[in-house]
Amino acid sequence: MRTFIVTFLIWLLAFPAFASQSVPVDTGKVTASLVSSHDSVAPGEEFYIALRTVLDEGWHTYWRNPGDSGEPVYLEWVLPEGVSAGDIAWPLPRPIPTGPIVNYGFEGTPLFPVKFTVSPDAEPGSVITVVANFYYLVCKDVCIPEQGSASLPIAVGESVEDMGWKTEIDAALAASPIRGTVQGGITKTGETVEMSFKDLPGGDFSKAYFFPYEQGIIGHSQPQLVTRGADGLSLTTTPEYLWEDPMSGPVDGVLTYDDGGTLKGTQVSLAVGQSLDIGAAIVPKANVGGVTLWTAIIGALIGGLILNLMPCVFPVISIKALSIAKSAHGERSVIRREAWLYTAGVMATFLLLTLIILGLKAGGAEIGWGFQLQSPKVVAALAILLFVIGLNLLGAFEFGGGLQNTGQDLTRKSGAAGSFFTGALAVIVATPCTAPLMAGAVGYALAAPALVTLAVFMALAIGFALPFLLIAYVPGLLSKLPKPGPWMVRFKEILAFPMFAAAIWLTWVLSLQAGEDGVLVTLSAMLAVALAIWFFKRTGMLGKALGALSVLAAIAMPLSVTANAVVGDIAVKELKAEKWSPSRVAELQAQGRPIFVDFTAAWCVTCKVNEKLVLNKSNVQTLFEETNTAFLVADWTNKNDMIAEELAKYGRAGVPLYLVYNNKSVSPAILPQVLTYGVIRDAIAEE
Amino acid sequence: MTISKILFSTLAVSALAMAAPATAKIVTGSNVSDMTVTDSNGVQHNLSDFAGKKVVLEWTNEGCPYVKKHYTTNNMQKTQAMAEAEGAVWLSVISSAPGKQGYKTGEQANEWKDAQGAEVTAIVLDPAGDMGKTFAAKTTPHMYIIDEEQTLVYQGAIDDNRSANPATVEGANNYVVAAMDDLKAGNAVAESDTAPYGCSIKYQS
Repeated sequence: MRTFIVTFLIWLLAFPAFASQSVPVDTGKVTASLVSSHDSVAPGEEFYIALRTVLDEGWHTYWRNPGDSGEPVYLEWVLPEGVSAGDIAWPLPRPIPTGPIVNYGFEGTPLFPVKFTVSPDAEPGSVITVVANFYYLVCKDVCIPEQGSASLPIAVGESVEDMGWKTEIDAALAASPIRGTVQGGITKTGETVEMSFKDLPGGDFSKAYFFPYEQGIIGHSQPQLVTRGADGLSLTTTPEYLWEDPMSGPVDGVLTYDDGGTLKGTQVSLAVGQSLDIGAAIVPKANVGGVTLWTAIIGALIGGLILNLMPCVFPVISIKALSIAKSAHGERSVIRREAWLYTAGVMATFLLLTLIILGLKAGGAEIGWGFQLQSPKVVAALAILLFVIGLNLLGAFEFGGGLQNTGQDLTRKSGAAGSFFTGALAVIVATPCTAPLMAGAVGYALAAPALVTLAVFMALAIGFALPFLLIAYVPGLLSKLPKPGPWMVRFKEILAFPMFAAAIWLTWVLSLQAGEDGVLVTLSAMLAVALAIWFFKRTGMLGKALGALSVLAAIAMPLSVTANAVVGDIAVKELKAEKWSPSRVAELQAQGRPIFVDFTAAWCVTCKVNEKLVLNKSNVQTLFEETNTAFLVADWTNKNDMIAEELAKYGRAGVPLYLVYNNKSVSPAILPQVLTYGVIRDAIAEE
Repeated sequence: MTISKILFSTLAVSALAMAAPATAKIVTGSNVSDMTVTDSNGVQHNLSDFAGKKVVLEWTNEGCPYVKKHYTTNNMQKTQAMAEAEGAVWLSVISSAPGKQGYKTGEQANEWKDAQGAEVTAIVLDPAGDMGKTFAAKTTPHMYIIDEEQTLVYQGAIDDNRSANPATVEGANNYVVAAMDDLKAGNAVAESDTAPYGCSIKYQS
């Protein structure tokens, strides 16, 4: 009503002899008038008259397909001889949800332009009076049918545009969807309808929506899930009753999308039974902005450098630092040789790892960083190795004495072999850790051709070995190292304890991979190690023989450990979550539920920290409950190709990976590796 | 109790409908037995009580112009009388939430029924919207027909003129009458699924 008074006053003020706006009609919740693009028209000319409706705040009228309820705006023209009217150029609709019901309609001030043509025989000086009977259902919480009639006289003569109304009508026409280049297809499979679109104009299609002209094709109140492909777009939703009989003819409608903050739309005719090839699905990659070869190499270099500080590596590195310190006041040439040998050990081990990865990949296996830890044999062997090193650091035994070849103190000997094997050992113990910057680089490398993989891994190796090369070559650094002395023995002994701690952690991992049998075998192997040490301390051939036998047992035992499938999904139970699978994700998406997926592994330290400090906390659990978010866990502790494939899709080669699917898009958002409550909440709330 | 639980416990529909969200349409041909509802006199009905009879469901809202169109023209009452003559049960359902348009207490519903001369078996009060959402009812009116075997055989509009103008009742094709005629003749319902039209149901949420 208020809008009517304002409109009426404006009209009174602006009313000339021949107005290009009719007397506004207040029909209750809407004030309607006819507006014309021309004050007067020439014979034979085309021009536009629009029904202009000003809706009260919060009220809406309906599009040509009103959606679940409602009725379209209806216009009937009463025209004099010599004038013809076209169809309504409908404005872009918007989905208007009311509880579980979704309507297609308009709020605010929608204009309904119609093209008019004046006959060439129209007499100049005459007046055409155009009359419109209009009807619309206007709804807020209740619905009111309203109707009215308006007439607009237009002079025939010279063509005179009305600048004001023409601008408004032109804007409405520009926003009204026209038939563009977009090709479309629609298919129904089971209880899913897939609409595919190609040759899209520029714009953001992440919230694209298809409005069909007809009812009964798709469920208006069901979400339309967006998948963006390299060459197009697909929307999946649920079918309606018209599919019960064979569908004939194309499905016409309007596809809306965002273009720089403005809603745009284009008319599309979907060919029934056709699924267009939209190209490879575009999923968000972990590294926004795209990883190039060079950023991957630089990332690997820096990541390798930081890897030295990771808890799994630091003790091993310290041993080497010790031996360098020992010789720090010796000849520089010796130090340089050692540094290079260490680097060679690192590089050779990385090279070997890379070749194994490439070989397995060529053989069709899906693997990633840390893949060797998916083998319980490797985990068991590493646990035993760390135990041995710990004992050695404590001074429980010295290598060398009896058995030659098997018993060089490889890591401590300041000879060629010693430096080389320290490098190798450092790399092996480093693999469970991922340093910042590494995840992207390694993910990129594993998805790239073999040569690139090699280049990135070599950069990682160089970064990893860099501290020692720097010590050897940068003058002054060497003298900064502490002077050797009795403290070194104490320090060495202290380092034994992180080694034991790491061995305990690996044994725990093993308990999840291989169950209690695996733990038993590993602890028995440790017993054999202790026995071997004790035997070797004895003199005489028998002791040595028994010692050698124990060593063999300690080596052989981890090889007998096998994965236990039953214990593979331990994280699922711990987190009170559901087991992840692509089909479960699809099912939940069809139900319109948000989903949180945690890709984790028992041997992944970052994963465990996030689970303990964030995911297992009550605020996150409450958040999941309140938003009806499904919590899925993909446990990669043991080898699983399905999970590896999914990780690769997001440019990752390892865990953790956190995905959030909200109910607007098929593609999930990737969360950072360091989780917080706020990050999760925002990702779920994101529209 | 969540909507999905209600779905599971009260309605035996096809597995496909089960997997879908609660507001998804139920498939024509689904079995719809075993759902308990309460009428305006406080009497409980279970849909399975009506096995062996046809049941017509009509979602209604007194204030809705489309409902008014069919009551002021006596079209709805005539359709009800036709169904009663054929021995069918007719349940009018009000799913409007308290405070929203069309909501009625039992007493108000009975008064309205008498004032309209509605010939219905019972008026079901569904202020929580459970029954409406189970059937995915969207509009007033929204019509459903269940056959003697408790199978849903029709859902959709009352007729093919989607206007609120009472003048349009004359000459419109009444889908409910047509479906009842098909069933009477022993045929399958020809038009078993149409797009409902009218006001949106004023659900709680």
